[in-house]
Amino acid sequence: MIFSSDKVLAISSPGGHWIQLNKICNPLELKHKVIYASPRSQYQLNKIGTRKVFNILDASADNKLTLIPLAVQLLFILLKERPKAIISTGAAPGVVAILLGKILRIKTIWIDSIANVQQLSRSARIIKSHANIVVTQWQPLSDDKTTFYRGSVL
Amino acid sequence: MIFVATGTQFPFDRLIQIMDKWAQENDEKVIAQIGDGKYTPEHIEWQRFVGIDEYNKNIKESTLFISHAGMGNIISAKEQGTPIVVINRQAKLGEHRNDHQAEGLEWMGKLEGVYTATDKDTLFAQLAQREQLQASSDENNQNLNTLVDFIDQLVG
Repeated sequence: MIFSSDKVLAISSPGGHWIQLNKICNPLELKHKVIYASPRSQYQLNKIGTRKVFNILDASADNKLTLIPLAVQLLFILLKERPKAIISTGAAPGVVAILLGKILRIKTIWIDSIANVQQLSRSARIIKSHANIVVTQWQPLSDDKTTFYRGSVL
Repeated sequence: MIFVATGTQFPFDRLIQIMDKWAQENDEKVIAQIGDGKYTPEHIEWQRFVGIDEYNKNIKESTLFISHAGMGNIISAKEQGTPIVVINRQAKLGEHRNDHQAEGLEWMGKLEGVYTATDKDTLFAQLAQREQLQASSDENNQNLNTLVDFIDQLVG
């Protein structure tokens, strides 16, 4: 499948992941058409008028059954929007989006949360062999082969 | 005014109880976002969830922001120019799935504008010296610029 649009899908769970995602992806809007997806986005939207945000189902790895409807929903979004890249800071919604992105041959970028200091997050370890690149925000966690450090949100 | 926030993912009744106690004993306005907590405070103005604009406005207008040890709140505090005290959730008290917030406290406390507490006594101690706590500035964040440039190149 050819995804030739200039769109980038930025996706994460609510809270800290979402704040970090916005911190990184809002500046990318100068060069790319960034669309967003997050659960409970009504509590965390800013500039609703200028940003396209999909309010997706709230799913977590703790309840694996919730991942199935989320996957269906994300598949529809990906087929409709046809982004050229997917960026996620975590957690379950990002894992599902990246696995779908791999199947659909979309470039996938995982940016691990700055909260993961000692080791990569559980999600990052699951996604490591599927995402095109994993980015850590802590130098000691980078190996410069599959996991890269190039700055952080703070 | 002091703004207290538990975050959206889990309740954090211990923090709200400590701050309710403090608000009862001190003559300073405290407002709180308490999430799905069972405990509803009596000496604090509270809401369960707050929209992002109001949330940021609360942080900006506060002299001190107190929250669970979540990254998002540290970033928000920095953006709004308000010092923050973070208190970690503890897995053994059922406050989180794991103790990554306790690990986080160690390096968070090294960030400019970020102060830490683990329980009632340490949080009360930070509150007692609240006029000395300084915010950090969000200007010239070179680490962020580096990361954004890298992601921009990856996206292509």
